[in-house]
Amino acid sequence: MFSMYKREVQSYFTSPFAFVVSALFLLVFSLSFVTSISSMTSSVLKFSFSNIFYNNFFYFIFMIPLLTMRTFADERKSHTETLWLSSPVTVPQVVFAKYLAVATVFLIMMLLSLFFPLIAVWHGSVIVSSLICGYLGFFLWGLVCIAFGILMSSLTDSPILAAVLGEVSMLTLIFVDDFSKTALIKSMPFVSKVMFWFSTEDRFIKFSQGLFTLSDFVFFLSFSLVVLCWTIIVIEKRRWSRA
Amino acid sequence: MVEIKNLTKFYGSHAAVQDISFTVGDHEVLGFLGPNGAGKSTTMNMITGCLPSTSGTVLVDGHDITKEPLEVKKLIGYLPELPPVYPEMRVYDYLMFVAGLKLVPRDKRKKQVETAMERLKITDVQKRVIGNLSKGYRQRVGFAQALLGSPKFLILDEPTVGLDPRQVVEVRNLIKELAKDHTIIFSTHILAEVQAVCERVVIINKGQIRAADTIANLENSVSGKIQLCMKIEGDMTKVTGIINQVEGVNEIEEVEFDSMGVNKFIVNVASDDIRKPLISALIANDCVVLEITTRKSSLEEVFVSLTTPGNSRTE
Repeated sequence: MFSMYKREVQSYFTSPFAFVVSALFLLVFSLSFVTSISSMTSSVLKFSFSNIFYNNFFYFIFMIPLLTMRTFADERKSHTETLWLSSPVTVPQVVFAKYLAVATVFLIMMLLSLFFPLIAVWHGSVIVSSLICGYLGFFLWGLVCIAFGILMSSLTDSPILAAVLGEVSMLTLIFVDDFSKTALIKSMPFVSKVMFWFSTEDRFIKFSQGLFTLSDFVFFLSFSLVVLCWTIIVIEKRRWSRA
Repeated sequence: MVEIKNLTKFYGSHAAVQDISFTVGDHEVLGFLGPNGAGKSTTMNMITGCLPSTSGTVLVDGHDITKEPLEVKKLIGYLPELPPVYPEMRVYDYLMFVAGLKLVPRDKRKKQVETAMERLKITDVQKRVIGNLSKGYRQRVGFAQALLGSPKFLILDEPTVGLDPRQVVEVRNLIKELAKDHTIIFSTHILAEVQAVCERVVIINKGQIRAADTIANLENSVSGKIQLCMKIEGDMTKVTGIINQVEGVNEIEEVEFDSMGVNKFIVNVASDDIRKPLISALIANDCVVLEITTRKSSLEEVFVSLTTPGNSRTE
């Protein structure tokens, strides 16, 4: 499993892929950083990064699928699936190895972005609790998106289609929050409650306020796990019906 | 030993492989023959555990693939039809990765990879990116991958496709060499290859086994006949009479005029051994035998007759 993980991480960095996506991420981050700094109202003396993360959400919907689109779609396209299907590794091991690899790349991107908070700390003051929890919440939210991206990649053999499907699923995930607040859904309290439970955005807001709750932490991890299990099922199912 | 037991694979209602059973003994090279679309790759995918079977199973050294897939996979090296190589990786890195995937202990990986590269003669391209290699080299990298983890069994799906004639010979020699310490099942539709490398063949068509036997037996027995082709000088009716009297002659299938006073007789016989009494009988009656040859059906004829719709023969 470790070999698989290592190969995946290497494949991101032997091509310009990870570098380009990281650069894009940092560009978005820096632009929102600059605009937030310049539009700071004088009544707030401490800088909070939650807004930046919040803005990044929407850009991120376009970046995470770029990282995940190739995970399984490419393997199908280049017929390398048979390699690990005939090796002494199980499908869950492969799925988790790939998931951890993308998570690692994502983590590296997050670490790179620490540059901005460090500058802010150096030249001014930031709300540290909000910063740390913001980063944590953002990372957890990213893990769920990565799981979805990998699931979409396992459904098709076209990386581009996988990216588009990933974007659709992540957009849906983000808008669940707004849907659950519409008048129609609110008229059905149970549906609204269930939908709201799946709202990642609401949970993220708590994190960005510097609130760390175990239930939210468990929610993000278990949600990712469920999606990954779904991926395993998809791959196993295809093994049975593959022509 | 690999035992394939009643292996069946359905894609929806279409049966790709139906009730296939055969056994491959240790250190044997088994040729798996069949026209395109006969179910060769499907069977091989099932033996290696890439594809689950609809029913039936495969036992590799006593391990059932449906119950202990990981144990079976440790024993098998597989080269699929399209070599499973990552185009963006370098040859050496790729082989090291596969060695890790096949659970080769860390300290033995380097050695195994180097040995495999030497065997396939790809040491000089080890630093190159696989995507830039020619098809022949890529095929050899795929082959090297199958040797990692020192598997006891090698499953090779059309290993010589895409290679130039010199490389084909090299790969055949390699298979012969590997047969010393591996059991090999390899599929192909090139008959010369089978004759060069295997002792035993399984012929499959439309998902069913048509024949499973040694090449010699198959050649002898496609329709159970051995023919003698003789050019004899002498009166046709007289010669016919003499031939028919010899014990072991089944029938005279055809008599052709060859040249003045000479006729060509095609005789169906029970075995090669009757050549001697036959010639003695003819000479005793003053008939001159100018030429005698034995005609056996070649593997090619066996293959064509077994894979043509309407014909069938199962062991």
